[in-house]
Amino acid sequence: MTPGEYRLRVCYGKTGRLRYLSHLEVVHALERVVRRAGLPFAITQGFSPHMKMAFGPALPVGTAGEREYLDVWLTRYTEAAEVLAAMKRVSPDELAPHEARYVADGERSLTAALTIGTYRVEVDGKEIEETQARTALLELLEGGELVTERKGKIKVFDLTRCVPKDLRVTGRDGGVDIELAVRMGPEGSLRPELLVRRALPPAALQAAAVRTTRTDTLIEEAEGVWSRPM
Amino acid sequence: MTPSDLWPRLEPLLSRIERPARYIDREWGARHVTDAEYRAVLMYPDTYEIGQANQALGILYELLNATPGVAAERAYLPAPDLIELMRAEGLPLFSLESLMPVSDFDLVGITVPYELTWTNVLELLDLAGLPLRASERDDSHPLVIGGGPCVYNPEPFAPFFDALLIGEGEDAIGEMVAVHRRSRETGASRDELFMELARLPGVYVPSLYEPRHDEEGRFIGVVSKAGAPVPVTKRVVADLDAHRAPVCPVVPFVDVVHDRFAIEVLRGCTRGCRFCQAGMVYRPVRERSADAVVRDALAGLACTGYDEVSLTSLSTADHSELEEVLRRLSRRLAGTGVSVSLPSLRVDAFSVDMARLISGAGRKSGLTFAPEAGTQRLRDVINKNVTEDDLIATVTRAFEAGWRRVKLYFMIGLPTETDADVAGIGELVSRVLDAAKAATPPPQRGSVRIGVSISTFVPKAGTPFQWEAQIGLDEVLRRQRLVRESMPRKGVELHWHDAEVSFLEGVMARGGREVSDAIEAAWRAGAVFDAWTERFSLARWTSAFAQVGIDPEDIANRERPLDEPLPWGHISSGVSTSYLIRERERAYQSRTTPDCSFGGCTGCDVCTRLGVEIVTGGVRA
Repeated sequence: MTPGEYRLRVCYGKTGRLRYLSHLEVVHALERVVRRAGLPFAITQGFSPHMKMAFGPALPVGTAGEREYLDVWLTRYTEAAEVLAAMKRVSPDELAPHEARYVADGERSLTAALTIGTYRVEVDGKEIEETQARTALLELLEGGELVTERKGKIKVFDLTRCVPKDLRVTGRDGGVDIELAVRMGPEGSLRPELLVRRALPPAALQAAAVRTTRTDTLIEEAEGVWSRPM
Repeated sequence: MTPSDLWPRLEPLLSRIERPARYIDREWGARHVTDAEYRAVLMYPDTYEIGQANQALGILYELLNATPGVAAERAYLPAPDLIELMRAEGLPLFSLESLMPVSDFDLVGITVPYELTWTNVLELLDLAGLPLRASERDDSHPLVIGGGPCVYNPEPFAPFFDALLIGEGEDAIGEMVAVHRRSRETGASRDELFMELARLPGVYVPSLYEPRHDEEGRFIGVVSKAGAPVPVTKRVVADLDAHRAPVCPVVPFVDVVHDRFAIEVLRGCTRGCRFCQAGMVYRPVRERSADAVVRDALAGLACTGYDEVSLTSLSTADHSELEEVLRRLSRRLAGTGVSVSLPSLRVDAFSVDMARLISGAGRKSGLTFAPEAGTQRLRDVINKNVTEDDLIATVTRAFEAGWRRVKLYFMIGLPTETDADVAGIGELVSRVLDAAKAATPPPQRGSVRIGVSISTFVPKAGTPFQWEAQIGLDEVLRRQRLVRESMPRKGVELHWHDAEVSFLEGVMARGGREVSDAIEAAWRAGAVFDAWTERFSLARWTSAFAQVGIDPEDIANRERPLDEPLPWGHISSGVSTSYLIRERERAYQSRTTPDCSFGGCTGCDVCTRLGVEIVTGGVRA
């Protein structure tokens, strides 16, 4: 809405070891990337001026993301490809931007627009078998509800709403990979990892490592019609 | 990355601990030198959050990584949650960059920042699987060296180190590494290596100095072996500009203390406060030139992406070109949202004006000043050249300029202190509060706050007060009551430094080598993170002292005669003992001594003994 400002959307990954960053740490790190890149960023007005920047839905500590988004407002128009190259030069490899494009200033905010996350949950463990995992997950989903408690707060997830598409389980040497989509919202999002941990027998998970990656973050145009924000 | 990469063993633990980003490396500015034949790990004896911003380690990290054939990495003490898991899983202490076990390095360098981190040093060594004492280590172990602010009395922790550097490390670290590499090549024994190291100026090899006692067990001095020099005199860098400040330091992912780009604008302070160890041992004053400060501040901001630059030193307002530096920085940084901060302010109008220059319209954070004592008499004793008029004028200026809170630092237990001096703290704060309110528009007077922070004076080695008795615990509590009674309540926020912590600091600050046994006993009884209030237990320390037969009160609370040999008598900061004695006498006469970087030489002997001189860009005012 501000004249003379250009809203640039950047798609970046949070991968490898940097999956262990918290959302706040990602925000700080990317602000510093923008400063190091020497971009002409806009500054918010007010008591405590800061870089005008907005992020998509937060990723928890330990969860990787392949297509995460941020918007940054620039005060001078610079070719998106140039901005991208400048940012890449000063980014850690595992928190690097890989796409940049200007979007209309009036577009909805990333948090409001991005309500679908697709995930890959990799479960390592010799005792975990594909068919068994699939059956267990489907059974849990058919139950229709998942109740969680965190720091004394009880939350009930409606699974038919939260898991809008069929999930896919693929066996591989030494474990299984589970792909699923989750509907996210301001009232809190279901953690795919939690779903998997609930479904699989605790004994099987004891020694197993679980790695979660958000593979895509999407806009839901209409029921079941999803698209990327750039 | 390397065959001994511990990542596969660390990663499964990361989902079970808080803030795992502390342990994953990959920060901007982290160096990964792969083709090195000599590897050093620099460690801080506290968690990543506390140690990451340490400027000394940052300087050494950069210098060593720039040395051909040498790689330097970092390690910190993991937080208690990870320590517990590491011990359960048998995972040894690791470096961040290559996740190599610390015990696989050639050199382990530990900074010793504060007395109560000494148990953490033992925790580091033990987690690394290294024997705690130099006497128990052999050629199969890394060389364990140390340095930092505590080395001016190194005795209590000396047995845990193979060598300690007294003073500044810019030149010495390379020399120590070179000696070690050469000894590796020639296959020299550890004893030969130690003798070589002891020949380097400023390097103290504790095992070559043996403390002696008389028949009654009283310390009578040290005997040096194999021609090791006495005293060991501190290393000092003649010209700060000869070593460019690191402009691409590591930029942490997690929130750490001092999370900003810091540039050291000057080293040393000769205000001559008689209680202040830093002011005595870091002499002489050496300023970085205004051009270098501005150039490096801008380069550092560009390289790190920080939105704040801090101009650090013991007394930044003393920099002769500070105003020029701030004006140039403000001009260059306008519109970038970058702020400039000054960590320490003098009690004068100039300091407030400098703070105004960089604070914009906000005036959010308060200003901090240190009058240290409540009466003029006692301020003269400690040579804190601040008058009440200065303080009132400074506070008035600050509140007129829009600040609504100031913080004041005081000490109790200073030499010659009377109850009148103690009560004087509250009376002074009362007048400061009145002045602050008078300078504030009536509708805003309700928001005026004076923070008052009171600590107990701990006599430190190498200062004119090194012979003084620290007041006992009961007396501290009595004087704290006096302060409380004299202090206005409304508008004042009173904070105390824990009396028991100060007592232990006092024992550590002036203890002899035998105190190392107590440190080890306390650590074995579970003492670690003693600087964290919730983990500190004086009872654990009391029984550790009893167990090894040490009377801690005899160390901290007894005035020492001038002719009594001091445990740190063989370590010299370059300041002569006769100067310290003279300053102590002047203290008793309430006579002040001027700052030699403003006026003439006051005869501390540092410049002549160390062959250096005061370096300032302009005339100090």
